[in-house]
Amino acid sequence: MNRKYLGYLFEIAWILPSVAVPIAFMVAIVITAFAVGIAVPGDAGRVDPKALSTTAPFDQPGLRELAPGRYEAVVIAQLFNFSPGEIEIPAGSKVTFIVTSRDVIHGYKIEKSPINMMVIPGQISRMTTTFDTPGEYYIYCHEYCGAGHHLMVGKLIVTPAKTASTNR
Amino acid sequence: MAIAERPAETVSLPRVNVRPGWAGWLSTTDHKRIGIMYLVSAFVFFLIGGIEALLMRIQLGTPDNTFLTPDVYNQMFTMHGTTMIFLGLMPLNVGLGNYMVPLMIGARDMAFPRLNALSIWLFIFGGLMLYVSFFVGGAPNVGWFAYAPLTQKQFSPTAGVDYWIVGIGLTGVASIAGALNFIVTILNMRAPGMTLNRMPLFVWMQLIVAFILIFAFPVLTVATIQLLFDRHFGTRFFLPNLGGDAVLWQHLFWFFGHPEVYILILPTMGIISEVLPTFSRKPIFGYAFVAYSGVAIGFLGFLVWAHHMFAVGLGPLANAFFGAASFLIAVPTGVKIFNWLATMWQGSLNLTTSMLYAISFIGMFVIGGISGITLASPPINVQQTDSYYVVAHMHYVLFGGAIQGIFAGIFYWFPKMTGRMLDERLGKWQFWLMLISFNLTFFPMHLSGNAGMPRRIYTYEADMGWGLWNLISTIGSLLLAVAFLIFLWNVLTSLRRGPIAPADPWDGATLEWAVSSPPPVYNFAVTPRVRSRRPLWDEKYPHLVNGSHEAPTARPRSPLHDGFEREIPAVMEPIHLPSPTYAPLIVSVGITILGFGIIYLGDFGLIAASAMLVGLLIMAAGIFSWVRISHIDSPHHAHHGV
Repeated sequence: MNRKYLGYLFEIAWILPSVAVPIAFMVAIVITAFAVGIAVPGDAGRVDPKALSTTAPFDQPGLRELAPGRYEAVVIAQLFNFSPGEIEIPAGSKVTFIVTSRDVIHGYKIEKSPINMMVIPGQISRMTTTFDTPGEYYIYCHEYCGAGHHLMVGKLIVTPAKTASTNR
Repeated sequence: MAIAERPAETVSLPRVNVRPGWAGWLSTTDHKRIGIMYLVSAFVFFLIGGIEALLMRIQLGTPDNTFLTPDVYNQMFTMHGTTMIFLGLMPLNVGLGNYMVPLMIGARDMAFPRLNALSIWLFIFGGLMLYVSFFVGGAPNVGWFAYAPLTQKQFSPTAGVDYWIVGIGLTGVASIAGALNFIVTILNMRAPGMTLNRMPLFVWMQLIVAFILIFAFPVLTVATIQLLFDRHFGTRFFLPNLGGDAVLWQHLFWFFGHPEVYILILPTMGIISEVLPTFSRKPIFGYAFVAYSGVAIGFLGFLVWAHHMFAVGLGPLANAFFGAASFLIAVPTGVKIFNWLATMWQGSLNLTTSMLYAISFIGMFVIGGISGITLASPPINVQQTDSYYVVAHMHYVLFGGAIQGIFAGIFYWFPKMTGRMLDERLGKWQFWLMLISFNLTFFPMHLSGNAGMPRRIYTYEADMGWGLWNLISTIGSLLLAVAFLIFLWNVLTSLRRGPIAPADPWDGATLEWAVSSPPPVYNFAVTPRVRSRRPLWDEKYPHLVNGSHEAPTARPRSPLHDGFEREIPAVMEPIHLPSPTYAPLIVSVGITILGFGIIYLGDFGLIAASAMLVGLLIMAAGIFSWVRISHIDSPHHAHHGV
């Protein structure tokens, strides 16, 4: 094998992985989006931050059971807490979080889950996920919001399923 | 080197009209002095930013710590980010560019020397203004990104945000003026024979950065002026409860903020594209690819800003576009990395401190680049948004990349700028300590970030499980401080006792090594003629030109790239240098007083308005003297030639 041909092979050996890496990343996105069901937060409408107390659903923040195992959590983020601050659901529940802010930009991140949204005054953020593993999970504000940013922590409690979880 | 000194007796050297002592620095229009002023002042700001980082690291070293108060902590991270980006990295790059670009292209000064002086003064005053805020009610505490509506008066009542707006505004004017200066200088003042495709790559990168700056910085300036009006004069651009839009600020800010990352990193890519060939004793591999991939990065850099906003909820189409565009940037960046590796391949490496920093740049920048590619993917990004993983990524790019690149440049050019060599033994101690402690500081942040630690939190509880990684980071940051102390010691002792630097200590290929160390005020007694990308190597090793290893019999003639051109007869024109003048300093003082007036106009109308008037009058006086001196200095003016 002559030297030039070897050099050519060498070059190909660099180029192919360089092409393969971005393709692998793209494939990973498609898989996370469609197979694993991880979605990015979407703009779910707008709301006047001054009128939260009179605008449904934010006039009654809290957890609502829509159907067995299907919940909707309406959350208002404000300086420096979440309302409600603690949410308790049985394992296996599918929860849709509908969140907005009363004042400045906040974050809504539930540890060990795909939920991570920027919470923007004037905008409603919405994400849905299923919680299978019982335990206590912190909810962090991850967008810097002022002097009490580090205090802005909530809690999600996933209790063991009510019935023996046979048909999840 | 012969290029510069050959026919010195045949040209009239300029009457060097430099004022002695401090006055010489205050009135200077010499690009070399201005470059040194940039480097020194930026390094002072950089050290202050480093101290702020140390205070934060001490606060975060243990859980539930109360070393700082929450408010002071918030001021620290705001000022750390603002300082490092606007007052540290950017001006360090500008300083190296200011000193080296005219030398590298064979020019005697920047195209607009007085504008250059205005830039340095506005930069220094803008930086000082930011720091004045500490003494008048508190520094800005809204983060360097200053997301609306936290910046509104209702949530941030102190004048800190106003100081941030005006301070950044002044440095912004300085940067835009500087960028125009670089563009005109590089496009118009290259020595004969130095085509664009023969420019040193450092000059290429400075040119690209200048264009990025022209398009990116005005966006920030406009956004901050809108913010100023929101805070004081009743507009509602970013006020959601009055019908404004908080997300608009994020778009405007990141449309500037992402290209800014390339403003910081591209010049350092240029530096290592000079350092690697010199110390590998080989020409750069794939010159055109390195240059044009820089152009590609500069262009793509404007198409990716919303990858800072994946958690906003822009919708799948926007997220997909910005994710894909962010992936694309990895391509030209990868091209550069492979070209640098190929440059070193089979070279005879000379592992000086400068070279070690350049090699380490490649390694650390690749780590930062790979975590960047993972962050470009919207679903992954949404998990990492505002966690310490992002802090780790960003510091691998800007510390492992930009800072190490700047150190490569400082160790490379220090002999040229000061006439003294830096101590290599101390330099290597500094390098290894810095490399280890940098990784000790920032690598654990990947892990604490993946464990869920959000950014910008004042403290955390012990049961969150982030304690160990934070403790390691804090220990690393203290060691980093030691590395910087070694560097300071090295600079201070070498300036006094370092070995005298020869004109060309590293056997360089570019024109700055053709003149003495430090260069004379006029740089080149005779404008050099350039026949290739490596004018000095051509001169020193004529037998190696065009790959020939035999001693030349006759001068090779080839009009192709990198070949020789026909001899151009040297023209002995008189040397024309700008006179020293205080005009740019006076104008900057006026603008700064005007800025103080603007800050307080909303609260103390009459006093502030009179301060603005005083500022405008000083500025007008400065401009008047500016016009006068530029008339006297004009080459057509009779008695002041030479």
